Amino acid sequence: MISVKNLSHIYSNNDKLAINDISFEITKGETFGFLGPSGAGKSTTQGILTGLLKLQKGDVQVAGYDMNKVDNKRFNKIGVSFEQSNVYSKLTAKENLEFYSKLFDVPTRDPEELIKLVGLEGKENDRAGSFSKGMKHRLTFARSMINNPELWFLDEPTTGLDPTIAATIKNIINEQKAKGVTTFLTTHNMYIADELCDRVAFIIDGHIKLIDTPKNLKMQYGKKLVDIEYVDGNEVKKETLKLIDDKDKKRMYEIINNYTIQTMHSKEATLEEIFIQVTGRGLI
Amino acid sequence: MIKKMFIIFGRDFLSSRRDALAIYIIVVPLILAVVIALFAPGLNDTTVNIAMLESDNALHIEYIEQYAKVEVFKNIEEVERRVNKRDEMAGIIPLGDGYEIILQGNEAELIEMYAVMLNSFYDLRLTKEETTATMISFGRTVPPLKAKLTNMLISMTIMLSGMLIAISIVEEKNDDTINAVNVTPISQMGFIIGKSLLGSSVAMISIIGAIFITGFYNVNWVMIVVIGFCSMILSLVIGFLQGINSEDFMEAAAGVKMLMLPIAGSIAGYELLSDKWQWTMYWSPFYWAYKANDLILAQTADWPTILLCTGLVVLSSAIVFILFLPRIRKGLS
Repeated sequence: MISVKNLSHIYSNNDKLAINDISFEITKGETFGFLGPSGAGKSTTQGILTGLLKLQKGDVQVAGYDMNKVDNKRFNKIGVSFEQSNVYSKLTAKENLEFYSKLFDVPTRDPEELIKLVGLEGKENDRAGSFSKGMKHRLTFARSMINNPELWFLDEPTTGLDPTIAATIKNIINEQKAKGVTTFLTTHNMYIADELCDRVAFIIDGHIKLIDTPKNLKMQYGKKLVDIEYVDGNEVKKETLKLIDDKDKKRMYEIINNYTIQTMHSKEATLEEIFIQVTGRGLI
Repeated sequence: MIKKMFIIFGRDFLSSRRDALAIYIIVVPLILAVVIALFAPGLNDTTVNIAMLESDNALHIEYIEQYAKVEVFKNIEEVERRVNKRDEMAGIIPLGDGYEIILQGNEAELIEMYAVMLNSFYDLRLTKEETTATMISFGRTVPPLKAKLTNMLISMTIMLSGMLIAISIVEEKNDDTINAVNVTPISQMGFIIGKSLLGSSVAMISIIGAIFITGFYNVNWVMIVVIGFCSMILSLVIGFLQGINSEDFMEAAAGVKMLMLPIAGSIAGYELLSDKWQWTMYWSPFYWAYKANDLILAQTADWPTILLCTGLVVLSSAIVFILFLPRIRKGLS
């Protein structure tokens, strides 16, 4: 669905390459996380893939379209949810979605259905200008689905949302994935990426440091330890055991069989820890 | 693509209906047209008003009515009351074998002289047919001041079309919606043309409305539409540039108001400069637009002249448009 080969990009007012010779491929139906701190090159890459930024160097194919050639029809297949909400303040939620739906050449979704889907039911006829930041963000998210996109670009889709709404958004993304929608997710939230993505790419200073599945990364970079708290007589004891050491494995069975377990946690590395380990930089 | 341009226009129109400043811009030319229609005839009017008595000789009243606006009253007190009102009115009432002229005292000397002369001509039974002078008419039936004011209003309306565009672009910037439109199938040029439709159509309706309200029903409407649309190009370009470079509505509107300088300069040049210096204004599309409208409103325009003016307006506007198109495109990216 997306093929990027040797992509580089430079802004005219900056001598430094914002994107430096990156290559990756995304298959149909895949949810691909593009992770990195601010200024890493995430938005520049997304800008080129969506056509908002002109392709300077490299070969980029998006949804079957060569990005070297300008063809606005490709947007019939693409949905984009920006990090900054972009809705018309003077128009109601419904009018906003109706306006955008008319600009596409393909069958579009019912605005009221989308409004309900993102939890804005009852606000259809309220002007977007009266919405909170989170509500505007949800309307922007809804707008990105109006044309039933085959390829979906999501930029920080859960930023600024309360946990309940964020969970709703995550469910919608998973539902779209089940329908075969390919998603390019740009975020610096590793928990979201971990939950939603089939594969992730770590980008920093315009370079992709690695691309892999979250599971493989955890296997590769995790410590493979287990913390066990158990009751021995009147005393609560704690031990940390290695999962790859036979002696420690035997000890874990012994504890499980002979004592009352209070807590047991695997010391699996988070994506954030792996990112820091790989890039030497934090995510903020 | 045309359908999508009209969708952009529809959205802009809906948004403008909910914006006080946009509504003001749309309505103000029509209000000014009403003001011109109400007051311009008074400014042009050279008719002298005469108050007379009902009991006066019918022939006398009939004679005076040929050359002045006559109001008839039942008695002298009513005539005096009428003369004492604020406007300029002379009273002529019978007194013995002759007549008495009643004045408030603050009338223009012309009014007093006209009333005296008119009554003397009646005494001598003089008529227009008895004159020895030959009558030559240039056939101008349009009140000149009203035509000038209406033409100035048209120029102002053209400037307002740019202001509407600027406001609309600022709204897009404030709501950060340009990017959202840029990821839909409408092309950027389609978006620019769609955005231009509100300003140009509102201005066109305002121009036609203003001309209609001010009473110039017999002008060549096709000429009005042709020169109107063409003279809007430059204003629209300025509107886009101001919208792109402004952070809020007031800044955008103030920026477009700078257009008043070349517009006012062009009008002043056309009206005040002698023929040998008119060439100094040839650079301005507003000069040609004003000249074309002047001829159209005076009902003396011919197509070759109008097409020449239109061509020059389009040429100078197109040069500005081509020069600034890359900047507009960049600002809308």
